[in-house]
Amino acid sequence: MTRIGRSDMDMRDLDDLFAEARERAAPAPPALLARVLEDAYAGQVVPAPAPAPRRWRMFGWLAGLIPAGGAALSGLAVSALAGLWIGFAAPTPFDASLGRVSEALWSAAPLENVELIPSLDGWAAEG
Amino acid sequence: MPLDDLSHLPDADLLARYAAGDRGAARTLTLRFTPKVLGYAGRLLGDRAEAEDIAQEAMLRLWRIAPDWRAGEAQVATWLYRVVTNLVTDRLRARRRRPAAELDAVAEPADGAPGVLAGLIARDRMAALDAALAQLPERQRQAVVLRHLEGLANPEIAAIMEIGVEAVESLTARGKRALAALLSGQRAELGYQDEEAGP
Repeated sequence: MTRIGRSDMDMRDLDDLFAEARERAAPAPPALLARVLEDAYAGQVVPAPAPAPRRWRMFGWLAGLIPAGGAALSGLAVSALAGLWIGFAAPTPFDASLGRVSEALWSAAPLENVELIPSLDGWAAEG
Repeated sequence: MPLDDLSHLPDADLLARYAAGDRGAARTLTLRFTPKVLGYAGRLLGDRAEAEDIAQEAMLRLWRIAPDWRAGEAQVATWLYRVVTNLVTDRLRARRRRPAAELDAVAEPADGAPGVLAGLIARDRMAALDAALAQLPERQRQAVVLRHLEGLANPEIAAIMEIGVEAVESLTARGKRALAALLSGQRAELGYQDEEAGP
């Protein structure tokens, strides 16, 4: 094909011009990007932090009563109540078993006759 | 790739993240779309400052619609191009309603459009293209810019301009012919060299 001496633009020239224009597209100025981003942040709803998981539902009301450190104090209350319960519910033969061991250790009987491990019968009878 | 790099995510996913408060998504969307809408508005308006206003306004509308965006109903880019098209149309109408005194302040072309073009063409091909684009009818200019400078497919242009695909084809064809006519006789000044004669 011969294109010598043409002065008019044809469609192929236009396509070349378009391609050049696409390649030379000017970047967005930083000041504009900053304004756009500022608008974006201003219109954005920042999500609220997720609530902490509640470990002790029974004593959650304690945490609600105390503004700071409520969770720790409710845990402490649970521990205290558990200790109290263990104290009241201790099996009665416990002391008696200890007494028998102590007596055996201080008696004059030969050591091979001393029963260091008390029988479990007393425990089983407690129920 | 950094953990917070969201540039690989689709537009709709980024918009959903933005609506949920993700600032990284806001940054990625800003960098992805602001240059596009600015370039498109600039080609239609021929005025950089006005184009920046339009770009900022279009992006602002994107932020506002984000919580109500329905993924799958429209492409984010298509929606933005349509917003820019409408904003520019309004801006051009306002220009036409300017008082005569303001219009008088605009410098008159010395020898009509071809003479103005000749001066620009000698200096810068891109300026010549912009000047020629500015002389196209508004709808032809929109179609040509979207097709040949933004590189969109005809169906997408049809969605943006809210017309049929055949109408888009007609507008782009007529627009290209008009551009060729506006730049006629300026081929050498545009820097195009004649090819060697073939065998």
